[in-house]
Amino acid sequence: MSRTEGNKPISAALAAATCSLLGSAIPTQVDAQEPSDWDFNTSILYYGEDNDRVEDFSVKAIARRMFVDDRSLSLGMTVDVLTGATPNGAIKQDVVQTFTRPSGNGFYSVGPGELPLDDTFKDTRVALTANWQQPVGDTSLVNIGGSVSSEYDYTHLGINAKVARDFNQRNTTVSAGLAYSMDDLDPVGGAPMPLTPMLDVGDTSNRMGDQDKDVLDVVLGVTQVVSRTLVVQANYSYSYSDGYLTDPYKVLSLVDGVTGDTLLRTGGIPVEGGPSHQFLFESRPDERTKHSLYTQAKYYVDGKVLDISYRFMTDDWEIDSHTVDLRYRWPLAGDSYIEPHLRFYTQSEAEFYLLSIDNSQPLPRYASNDYRLGDFDGITAGLKYGWRTGAGNDMSVRVEWYQQSGTVPGSQIIGNQANRDNYPDLNALIVQFGYRF
Amino acid sequence: MGSPCELVCECVKRGDASELSQLAAEEAWRIEDKFSRYTGGSAVARINEANGEAITVDDETADLLDFAATLFELSDARFDITSGVLRHIWSFDGGTKIPRQADIETVRQNIGWSRVAWHRPELQMPKGMEIDLGGIGKEYAVDRAAKRLREEGAPPCLVNFGGDLATTAAPRVRRSWRVGIEGKTPDAPERRIDLRQGALATSGDARRFLEKDGVRYSHILDPRTGWPVPDAPRSITVAAESCTQAGMISTLAMLKGAEAEGFLEAQNVRWWCYR
Repeated sequence: MSRTEGNKPISAALAAATCSLLGSAIPTQVDAQEPSDWDFNTSILYYGEDNDRVEDFSVKAIARRMFVDDRSLSLGMTVDVLTGATPNGAIKQDVVQTFTRPSGNGFYSVGPGELPLDDTFKDTRVALTANWQQPVGDTSLVNIGGSVSSEYDYTHLGINAKVARDFNQRNTTVSAGLAYSMDDLDPVGGAPMPLTPMLDVGDTSNRMGDQDKDVLDVVLGVTQVVSRTLVVQANYSYSYSDGYLTDPYKVLSLVDGVTGDTLLRTGGIPVEGGPSHQFLFESRPDERTKHSLYTQAKYYVDGKVLDISYRFMTDDWEIDSHTVDLRYRWPLAGDSYIEPHLRFYTQSEAEFYLLSIDNSQPLPRYASNDYRLGDFDGITAGLKYGWRTGAGNDMSVRVEWYQQSGTVPGSQIIGNQANRDNYPDLNALIVQFGYRF
Repeated sequence: MGSPCELVCECVKRGDASELSQLAAEEAWRIEDKFSRYTGGSAVARINEANGEAITVDDETADLLDFAATLFELSDARFDITSGVLRHIWSFDGGTKIPRQADIETVRQNIGWSRVAWHRPELQMPKGMEIDLGGIGKEYAVDRAAKRLREEGAPPCLVNFGGDLATTAAPRVRRSWRVGIEGKTPDAPERRIDLRQGALATSGDARRFLEKDGVRYSHILDPRTGWPVPDAPRSITVAAESCTQAGMISTLAMLKGAEAEGFLEAQNVRWWCYR
């Protein structure tokens, strides 16, 4: 027997012999792949509000490395670039208004009848996340993670952990999660003392030092496979925030108790600039407790998937909100799909939400005209289209339109304010590209 | 078949899945009954009891014998269906009993496909010789079961007879069938393969061996010597268009011992080899 027979390719001869044996040509190609240890999920998102308001450009990437026994490490990075302007909380007037910039180093003007927007709101935020997932025994899963983010006036540090356990032949999953974050705020110019006046350019005598806040989140959930075609989930969440919860850049207009017009400043505006009228910095409580109940159902019917969810949230700022979200995934030929999306959101205003501060009344303890704490409804309608690339990777594009409109409680409208549109409605466009490989 | 057999199918109704499982099982039982050397009256039993007489076989048996003959040529006599008699003297139970050279020589007198007169449809073997189709049977059964399911117009299925498997078609609902290959030892983690189309077969068994004086003897025997193939890998898995083809390439690679990887490289198939 020769030791140097060499290795001849026998596949062709063997294939022919197998053909004869099995009596027909095998109609299949071979496609056997070892799955990659790495999974990357990336997306680019554009969010733009109308009327020169906020624009956000965001790039996000999550890399996940799989290890044996279903352990995995995920590392994520998100970069957000924010530009545009946001309402500063002052109400419209029929005259020009000027405001000192939050830094105290300049001022900006707003025309008659215009919604006062602060356009010094430009920022880049970088956020990093890490997560380790580990199965424990046959039926449990543990997740531990951390997050950190930084922007010029805000840093965040957080840790989170979650445990999930399967029961009933994996038809039921019960999970419990905990997250704790410590955030530091260093507002431009310093956080202003609550309910003190906006001062002239260069005057930062009413500013305080760095601020911080801590947030504790607890989530308890249950997922249940109900039938071959239906999965449902229910969660209860508890969130407790403690610390500086006020928006340091927002003000309220100090108005006359009869006319509802913003009071002019006393004395003239100095050369360097300053506010034209009287504005007080807002003030929010230093604690907030939220409770949420969330339910979701995914229903498979004839190749299509309907995903419906409802969330109810209530907190001790007296905000109640309801969210209904519907998605319908419709598979198309060639591993692609289309997914229309509809979301309805409604919220009642915070207890201390106030359009303006009435000069003839005692100063309230807390007050904010931040439209995000008001009574408003939001509708999102969009469409997502996804497909598989030649290389077998997933790509998607999503376009959505968001419209938000709100109302100010009638009891808060004073005098001439009744002639105006007091809640800053907004429309926004969202476009997102996703690539998973 | 000597191992657990299963059928995974993309069905919506339990009844459909039952019917298809029944079809696959029937094909498996039919082949087992026909080609098992243990089943009295089976085609192989008749051949092995012929005592030197010529036997006429049917088309299916003839096809398998033709295939075995081709494999004998392609493997340079390493794959030999008359080598089953070696089981009388070798038992791979993790023990230390190595047969004596004299016993091996005695048994080798009854090995050698070249001594068999095979002229389709007649087979004549010298007395004392036996054929054993165990090396082809399982993979053949997988392919026949898959073929039967395709002919019935079944939805995409994965036929799995003890780790030798074949798809009938690419799955529609999921991206691919998820298959695991056992690692080096029974406790070692599995390797995952996403099989979308084609077949997988594995040769070798981490559990069947002998060990004496620090030398490990695998259960893959070289019919030309009567001894285990030296330096045989622990296991080889091959992906090919059919289970029979995958099985034969992995078996032939095993028989090449130290040259297994070189042989596999030359065959232009996807393979996984553990030593």
